[in-house]
Amino acid sequence: MRRGRYSIAALLVVVGMAPLGAQQPAGTIRGRVTDDATQQPLSGVTVTVGSRRVLTPADGHYLITGVPTGTDTLRTRLIGYASAARPVTVAGGDTVVVDLALTRRAVSLSEIVVTGYGEQRAGNLTSAASKLTSADFNSGRIVSPQQLIENKVAGVQVIDNNEPGGGLAVRIRGQASVNASSEPLYVVDGLPLGTGSGGGLSTAPLIGNSPSRDPLNFLNPNDIESVTVLKDAAAAAIYGANASNGVVLIKTKKGSGTTRIEYGGSVSASSVTRLPSMLNAAQYRTAVTTYAPANAALLGAANTDWFGLVDRTAIGQEHNFAVSGAGANNSYRFSLGYLNQDGIIQGTTAQRIALGVNYDQQLFNSRLDLRASVKGTRTLDHFTPVGVLYNAAQMGPTQPVYDPTTATGYYNWPVSGGSALTSADNPVEVSNLAKDHGTTYRSIGSLQAKYDFSAFRALQGLTGTLNLGYDVTDVNHVTFYPNNIHLQTKNGNNGSFYRTTPNQLNAVLEGYLDYRPPVNLGPGNLDLTAGYSYSQSHSEYVSLSAIKLGTSLLGDNGIPQTAIPPVPVDTVTESKLISFFGRAEYNVGDRYLASVSIRRDGSSRFGPSNQWGNFPAASVGWRISREPFMRGITAISDLKLRASWGKTGNQAFGDYRQYSTFQPCNPQAQVQFGSQFICPFRPSAVDPNIKWESTTSYDVGLDYGILNERLGGSIDWYDKHTENLIFTVPTPAGSNLSNYVTTNIGKMKNTGVELNLSARLLQGGPGGFSWNAVFNAAHNTNQLESINPNTSAASKILVGGVAGGVGTTIQVLEPGQPVNSFFVCQQFYNNGAPVESSYVSLAGATVKACDATGLRAYHDPAPHWILGFSSSMSYRRFDLSFTLRAWLGNYVYNNVASNLGTYQELTRGAPYNLQTSVLQTGFKTPQYLSDYYVEKASFLRLDNVTIDYTFPWRGQELRFFAGVQNAFTITGYSGVDPTAGVEGIDNNIYPRSRTFTGGLNVWF
Amino acid sequence: MEMTHARSGGMHTSQWKAFGVCAALLVLGTVACTDPSVAPKSTIGGPTFFSDANSYQEFLARIYGGLALSGQAGPTGLPDISGIDEGFSQYLRLYWETEELPTDEAVIGWNDIGLPEMNTQTWTSSSKMVVAMYYRIYFQVVMANDFLQQTSDAALAARSNVTPALKTQIQQYRAEARFLRALAYWHAIDLFGNVPLLTEADPIPGPAPKQSTRLDVYNFIVSELTAIQSQLPAPGAATYGRATGPAASMLLAEVYLNAGVYTGTTHWAEALAAAQAVIASGAYSIDTSYRHLFLADNNTSPEMIFAIPQDGLKTQTYGGVTFLAHASCGGSMNNGNYGIDGCWWGLRLKPEAYNFYAAGDKRTAYFYTTNQTVAVTTIGDFHAGIAAPKFQNVTSGGTAGSNGTFVDTDFPVFRLAEAYLIYAEAVLQGGGGTRAQALAYVNLLRERAYGGTSGDITDPALTLDFILAERGRELLWEAHRRTDLVRFGRFSGGTYLWAWKGGTLAGTATAAFLDLYPLPASELIANPNLKQNPGY
Repeated sequence: MRRGRYSIAALLVVVGMAPLGAQQPAGTIRGRVTDDATQQPLSGVTVTVGSRRVLTPADGHYLITGVPTGTDTLRTRLIGYASAARPVTVAGGDTVVVDLALTRRAVSLSEIVVTGYGEQRAGNLTSAASKLTSADFNSGRIVSPQQLIENKVAGVQVIDNNEPGGGLAVRIRGQASVNASSEPLYVVDGLPLGTGSGGGLSTAPLIGNSPSRDPLNFLNPNDIESVTVLKDAAAAAIYGANASNGVVLIKTKKGSGTTRIEYGGSVSASSVTRLPSMLNAAQYRTAVTTYAPANAALLGAANTDWFGLVDRTAIGQEHNFAVSGAGANNSYRFSLGYLNQDGIIQGTTAQRIALGVNYDQQLFNSRLDLRASVKGTRTLDHFTPVGVLYNAAQMGPTQPVYDPTTATGYYNWPVSGGSALTSADNPVEVSNLAKDHGTTYRSIGSLQAKYDFSAFRALQGLTGTLNLGYDVTDVNHVTFYPNNIHLQTKNGNNGSFYRTTPNQLNAVLEGYLDYRPPVNLGPGNLDLTAGYSYSQSHSEYVSLSAIKLGTSLLGDNGIPQTAIPPVPVDTVTESKLISFFGRAEYNVGDRYLASVSIRRDGSSRFGPSNQWGNFPAASVGWRISREPFMRGITAISDLKLRASWGKTGNQAFGDYRQYSTFQPCNPQAQVQFGSQFICPFRPSAVDPNIKWESTTSYDVGLDYGILNERLGGSIDWYDKHTENLIFTVPTPAGSNLSNYVTTNIGKMKNTGVELNLSARLLQGGPGGFSWNAVFNAAHNTNQLESINPNTSAASKILVGGVAGGVGTTIQVLEPGQPVNSFFVCQQFYNNGAPVESSYVSLAGATVKACDATGLRAYHDPAPHWILGFSSSMSYRRFDLSFTLRAWLGNYVYNNVASNLGTYQELTRGAPYNLQTSVLQTGFKTPQYLSDYYVEKASFLRLDNVTIDYTFPWRGQELRFFAGVQNAFTITGYSGVDPTAGVEGIDNNIYPRSRTFTGGLNVWF
Repeated sequence: MEMTHARSGGMHTSQWKAFGVCAALLVLGTVACTDPSVAPKSTIGGPTFFSDANSYQEFLARIYGGLALSGQAGPTGLPDISGIDEGFSQYLRLYWETEELPTDEAVIGWNDIGLPEMNTQTWTSSSKMVVAMYYRIYFQVVMANDFLQQTSDAALAARSNVTPALKTQIQQYRAEARFLRALAYWHAIDLFGNVPLLTEADPIPGPAPKQSTRLDVYNFIVSELTAIQSQLPAPGAATYGRATGPAASMLLAEVYLNAGVYTGTTHWAEALAAAQAVIASGAYSIDTSYRHLFLADNNTSPEMIFAIPQDGLKTQTYGGVTFLAHASCGGSMNNGNYGIDGCWWGLRLKPEAYNFYAAGDKRTAYFYTTNQTVAVTTIGDFHAGIAAPKFQNVTSGGTAGSNGTFVDTDFPVFRLAEAYLIYAEAVLQGGGGTRAQALAYVNLLRERAYGGTSGDITDPALTLDFILAERGRELLWEAHRRTDLVRFGRFSGGTYLWAWKGGTLAGTATAAFLDLYPLPASELIANPNLKQNPGY
């Protein structure tokens, strides 16, 4: 069925470039690197000074020649050890000796963690926040930044849609909303990126269901230094109204040391892992002859593997250049990244060109720190046109691909009577002739000024920060279907052209003061922060659509004459968020820690009486290990108990929901009024009193370090209650202007535990074998508590539309059940075989129909456990790392099987191909609501394996690496992918790929 | 950098000003920018809307459009009601399905959720078509109520742009809105029984409404139609598709005709008088061609009293006659012959309906029998049952409609032939009039059907059973059948069985409570004031 050849891509040939710069007076640095505990020499340590870089051999000695004269910083890096930095001054011709003793680490408590409007030492955090730096990130082909931390943080679920750069969902501690967004807030270098999944816009088609791309694709993952996830409300509440789904703080790389040029390049090859299981030509022929003999005459003699024709081995390449450095009072980093990654289905490509500049200037004796940051990216996305995947499943395998007698040269089912509408289309024709692509320009930038008032005696300890930022996106997306392909001629569309060119500009202004009194207040010291934030957003959605194209000759380049006038749409929306915030932290001897914060937000998305909301939070921490009574227990190097409470909001839904408005018609929705046509206006149903969703959460956590941090980690328990869910619910008929209205109804809760454990399993010593491992586990229970204010009785809202029939839904929102639980009937089995139209009712009887007597909530798509295991091993110059992931307790509805697994599909105007489950079930008519199709989709996946080989080359470090992503998946699920989106409905989803990547990194 | 062509110039100047002022003030250490309000941009609020004198017509058109469209963006997008596929949610399509599928006239072969049980009288209070019909009715009611509130004397007085001439025009529009509300309430009591009675006195948004009795709503419909009769516009080309005086009389005739079912008290004389008023208006005549009434140019038929206009280019929906034309095509039928771009393989006749007609009755001319069987042995098989493409997207001259996907054919809600049949039925029920006139009216229709007098009946043959059968023949698939069978006591129960009644091929007796549809289960939850119909 598919091509099994995987080609490990050839490594890039890089032009051998000599180290930059002519020979100037230079000196030499030498020394020895040891483990500070064992005093044993360490091998494989990267020692860097300026642009020079060497690796230590087995005896731990190093020698760096040609070091420019002057003062610079000597740095070391070795997995499992804290990095060290030492200033050195080299005079011309001198040899300076610097010996270094490195400290082992698993968790660094002194590490600085970025928090909302500030930073904190990891050891003193009183809230649940997890920081990952570039050393922890996933490697291989990473298109979207969120994939860097996939599987790495307990309680953070990343669900990608398998397309390169495709839309992905991030859930922090479960889903907390139904109709508003459940995506976290992203903050890049202090700049909040609006509401929803990464703010901004992405290439999203005007119509159809081709998925939009991830709006965060504009961030080059190679530019990211660290990602911090604020999981509990105490950490996130300083972001108030946008923080209900957690906050992800992204910090980009900055320059340091002397000028360095860095190049990293890789190539990759991807192939399909699993495709829908359809009948082959022989099976199909037998089925048609048996179950739809009237259609047997239509069958051809071909043996066509339609999926084989639309999938491919996808090649990708990525190149990143960066120039960085620092002077006495400034630092800079310029980066240029290029990525071109094909998808494994014909037609899909993600291309990105990303530029980044970070510049930092210190003025007035370093009292004023000015930082400018600009990122600008062009992404060019080619999508597989809608109609390729589902037709590859439905098109008869006995039919040929080509037919020279047709207008397009591609074969399609013959039309007899009105059969065309119910026939599949040739997927190769659609794939080769239709176009669907979009370009997105997005830029964010910020200018931050931070002033330290300490020069004024009275203002000692006071700093002020002003941050001005913008975020602009401009999208141009075109979808084109020629007028002579079967997909268009069969329904009378006769060609279609859509162009959508939305643009958005967000502006943010933030200012805050931080005051740390120079003397202790009482037994401890105080840190006060107070600030103001103003952000506004202006979006224009301009689009044009046309059908019945007079000619297809212009392709996707423009609209020729059309039989009916093209339809333009232009909509402008604006929103505003104004906030005041403050925080006080109190620290007694790094032993007793407390923090309180409050944010007051005013949002344009609510009526005047509900515009303002308050979001308070409080947290405390007790570092037990710092207590005198713990001094004797040397095995426990760190122990901290923390507890937090906080309230956050969610306003991530459309603008102007509080106003009743009159909606004009489009030209196809006019009303004949006597002898003329009138464009009718419709008043909209609203709840003028709509207000925030608010989430109250509790978190209790324990951070621990044992045996000098040889083992370390944390355990957290949390409980999140979301109230006033913004929900579109049925309203009593006649009481409002439609039968559904968006209002605040309902409650939902998420409760869970998270466990994080990192360990240095083996400490091989000099040149020996070392092994570090990190294990994380998260368990979450989601429950919808209420959805209707009018009655205490359980009510249900049906959701989860699937392919097959019109209006078929297979999920439910029901109090007492997890959100989007499947809502199906228990299949009746006879001797292990499912019996058609036979179900077990709730009362236990065998019934003929799946109706209210048998429908019940049955499992849900969210995993109950998410487990991640990352491991890194090093031996001499080799590093091997891998990441395993498991989801337990998640279920997926196999929609391809339920929709195409019935013999009735053969009786259409032209028969559809069938999914192979029909061979087991023998179903003649569709049984969409049978729990037969709700499959357990727990899995274990080797997500990532990478092997590195690092060696000195011309006095520099050269790193080669090769890896595999999605090496294997073990699952009982029979469909395409057990991670089939947030909603767990597998309906011709994009298949998952296995990707081999090889590349190198070099520094000059 | 490449992103410079982003259109920052599009941002509203006042927003930038605010931004600049806030930036400046912040630097000065003052915070004054604390108003998060933003005026809606590309959306139109009430005051803006009514500042345009055309708004009243555009709003009223929306209530008419509630019968013809499924939302504000044809054919789909911005649906009026939610919780169901938009194409399925269209008023006429739902009304047609509730009136035809459970009877002896039609069967639909699709498996879509909520449809199969319509064929067999086995629906529940959660069945999607039943639920959506209820919400569709109240969408009409609340649109009309909102229109009446927005055009009250007080509301008009508060607007400076309402001239006396416009005000007079608005009074006529108000009468039309009340007609449309009465039409929706008729469907409500006919299908659902005791339902809430909401008027322009009820606030929007308002509390969950109280349930009224079928009698209260019946009385309201009668009093409304009586009150607006004289205010409605006169028939003519300028009021095609709109509510006219005779249209109100026709609706009144329908309501009186079924008064026994709705209230327990019959009103045959009133039904007769209302039908007589339509006939006597002289505005309509029997179309010489029966087929013309169901073709793409049926707007020119002199017989049409009230129609739901459809247009292939300007009034697009996947419901309405578009549904009827496509769904009744399938099998070996050539869609091109019917002016449509494809067949949906759905609707056929039940065998009883096919057998309504005697040989020589030309009203069956459009039946398609090739490769079709009379018996409907399998509901899902299009070939089982005679195909009946009554509504076609070709003109009487044989030209295809303007668009193959969306038809130009209007739906006849009330036409003169039915006024004749109501007259005849009322006479036989003792409502006055004369048998001779009744016979003359009936034979007028028979002569058109047979192309001569060969099908004429004589006085002894003019019985109530004949009327029910003749209504079946003349008004086949025109969304009257369920109401007729209920009025004659033959819809539920075992006195009259037909294929698939009760879910069996031969037909089985069904429970009497099925004469009414259930109130939607979702509505009982949303509105605790409601009491479910008995039996559900």
